[in-house]
Amino acid sequence: MKKRATTSASAGRQRLDNLAGYLFISPWLFGFLALTVIPIIASIFLSFTNYDILSPPRWVGLQNFKKMFFEDPRYWKSVRATLYYALTAVPLRLIVALSVAMLLNTSRRGVALYRALFYVPSVVGDSVAVAVMWRQIFGGDGLVNAFLRLFGLPGKRLWLADPQFAIWTLILLAAWQFGSAMLIFLAGLKQIPYELYESADIDGAGPVRKFFSITIPQLTPIIFFNLVMQTINGLIVFTPALIITNGGPLDTTNFYALYLYKRGFENFQMGYASAMAWILMLVTALLTLVIFKTSSRWVFYESEVK
Amino acid sequence: MKRKLISLLCLALIALAGAFGQTKKVELKFAWWGSQVRHEATIKVIELYQKLHPNVSISYEFAGFDDYWMKMTTMAAGGQLPDIMQQDYSRITEWQSRNLLEPLDPFVQNKTINLSDVAKPILDSGTINGKLYAISAGSNSYAMMLDVDAFKKAGIPLPSQDWTWDEFEKIALQLHEKLGIYGIGGGFEVDELAWKANYLSDGQFLYSADGKSLAYKDDALLVNFLKMLQRLIKAGAAPTYQEYMSSFGGATGNVQMDAIVTGKSAIEAVWSNQVVTVATAAGPGRNFAVVHIPRHKKTGLPGNFLKPSMFLSITSQSKNKEEAAKFIDFWTNSVEANLILNAERGVPISAKVREALKQTVSPINKVVFEYMDRVAKDAAPTPPPEPARHAEIRANVYVPLIREQVFYGVLTPEEAAKQLRIQATEILKRP
Repeated sequence: MKKRATTSASAGRQRLDNLAGYLFISPWLFGFLALTVIPIIASIFLSFTNYDILSPPRWVGLQNFKKMFFEDPRYWKSVRATLYYALTAVPLRLIVALSVAMLLNTSRRGVALYRALFYVPSVVGDSVAVAVMWRQIFGGDGLVNAFLRLFGLPGKRLWLADPQFAIWTLILLAAWQFGSAMLIFLAGLKQIPYELYESADIDGAGPVRKFFSITIPQLTPIIFFNLVMQTINGLIVFTPALIITNGGPLDTTNFYALYLYKRGFENFQMGYASAMAWILMLVTALLTLVIFKTSSRWVFYESEVK
Repeated sequence: MKRKLISLLCLALIALAGAFGQTKKVELKFAWWGSQVRHEATIKVIELYQKLHPNVSISYEFAGFDDYWMKMTTMAAGGQLPDIMQQDYSRITEWQSRNLLEPLDPFVQNKTINLSDVAKPILDSGTINGKLYAISAGSNSYAMMLDVDAFKKAGIPLPSQDWTWDEFEKIALQLHEKLGIYGIGGGFEVDELAWKANYLSDGQFLYSADGKSLAYKDDALLVNFLKMLQRLIKAGAAPTYQEYMSSFGGATGNVQMDAIVTGKSAIEAVWSNQVVTVATAAGPGRNFAVVHIPRHKKTGLPGNFLKPSMFLSITSQSKNKEEAAKFIDFWTNSVEANLILNAERGVPISAKVREALKQTVSPINKVVFEYMDRVAKDAAPTPPPEPARHAEIRANVYVPLIREQVFYGVLTPEEAAKQLRIQATEILKRP
């Protein structure tokens, strides 16, 4: 591009350019403001009101928060269920993702095909269709029970109606949808300098030693990224719980986002739902902050090597 | 270029003419919730109405129950409500209190809506503070659906209209012992039956007249009922709650999965307007009878009342109220329309239509019609519409406490009933 002299004419030109730029992004900007920013701001206000959509919001101060923390047993159940899910599903998914990534990090023939195949569950991942399929698989006459019967086992357990097992069907689903984390791990694995393994070989290190002393430390930035993303995803899990168990049995899968949705859109308690949403947002931010703060102790960046 | 211009002009002219033609047409909008069967029948009735009234064009919108209310609530906030909307017994008070519904009395007085063939109690159910706001789209009542062939096979005579819960329990056990099937299907712990009908049969309402507190005196009736269900489950005469939820449509509310459909049970609790759907799902060659909900004493009240299954009402945001009223009149009084609707929203409220339909409907429809005639003569007094917070109490208190924690064995019936009273009172008391 040619360099422009700073005359008033070119300043006008600059303004015009800016205007054109803003015009070009205006559809997005409009959507962002109208559908994201303004509702977010509105929800801060709504969280201090009673609002059922039909009549105007009524200011109630901190009553929604008080009710949430001290008077709503289902709220704490949903918090517990969500934390349980996040603490099991996220590590499980990361472990599966890393294992598969390491299997695929070879130069065998057909690896590209497998890579694509393993990624498929995540492409269709959060969809209703997969959730419906999962419901069938774990249903009373579903695939899992049929499989158990094949080996002479009773195969009569109602997985989705069992307070002990229902949440595990959802955790399994999460573990199965490891695709995006797996791809990121795979990219990370390819970045690890081959010399490191070579010199380890010369020093006589076995595969386990190499994994823990080279692969894991070298991967920590990637693990860090995946951990943050997956934790956020885990805390806002919604679709599978809505479709597969609808929060039941005994509220064991009534995850936070699902309960929020039910309060807002089934009971029309928008104020309460907004208050819940802000607590979720604060907790998510806080957890992410904790992960970030601790990261300096365990995340290793190549650039830090002096 | 010139030719293009001319053709463009022509197009504009046509559009203009079209617009003029349109302005003469009355445009109405009608919204309802329901199942696929209902959508198809309702659309057919709309088409019939448009054929008979070429000057009226009706657009429509339909959805499942929850989505419907989400949509309507949003539309109400935006002043976009349809002219005619289907209303629910448990929500009508709330909507009326927000001035969203139009009183229909003027249209009844000027005979736009003819209600001369409708009994007064049916109209009362849509009356709030002395004004008529909604017209029942059909009458409904909870019912015990019986598999006649199973009873015959077990050698048990069909129960009479005045059967009691004691007899009910005995029969359920006998059916189980003699046939090896469940005596009763699942879902008997539902609030409509275990809570509302149970107290109704004792002459008590759940809620006080102002809807600010619970009205029933003690928890014993509810506790005893839940204990009876627990006994039946334990004896194998009823499915466990888990089995009901996952195998018999409990989770989806799909009556086509009821245990009676596949002959796995012989008694099922259903709404009268669902009987036909269940019987159709069971297939040809099966025989069903329908009787009252059992009562506490032979001489006492049944738990039944004539419930408007749903209403039609005109919204205050409508611009064509007179035309909307004409459609409601057609809906209520046209035999032809009701033949299409096939009592899927409940038994028609007009006696004339009812008589006409009786001549033509299928045998199972006739069973329902006759049942509703019996209920009309032998019913508990109609309770007032539920307070606006009933939906919240049901979703956040009744279902988790009574349906789940009792039948998963977490709480005893006594403890759950006590909790229910405490938590429901708390919600009702809130300003």
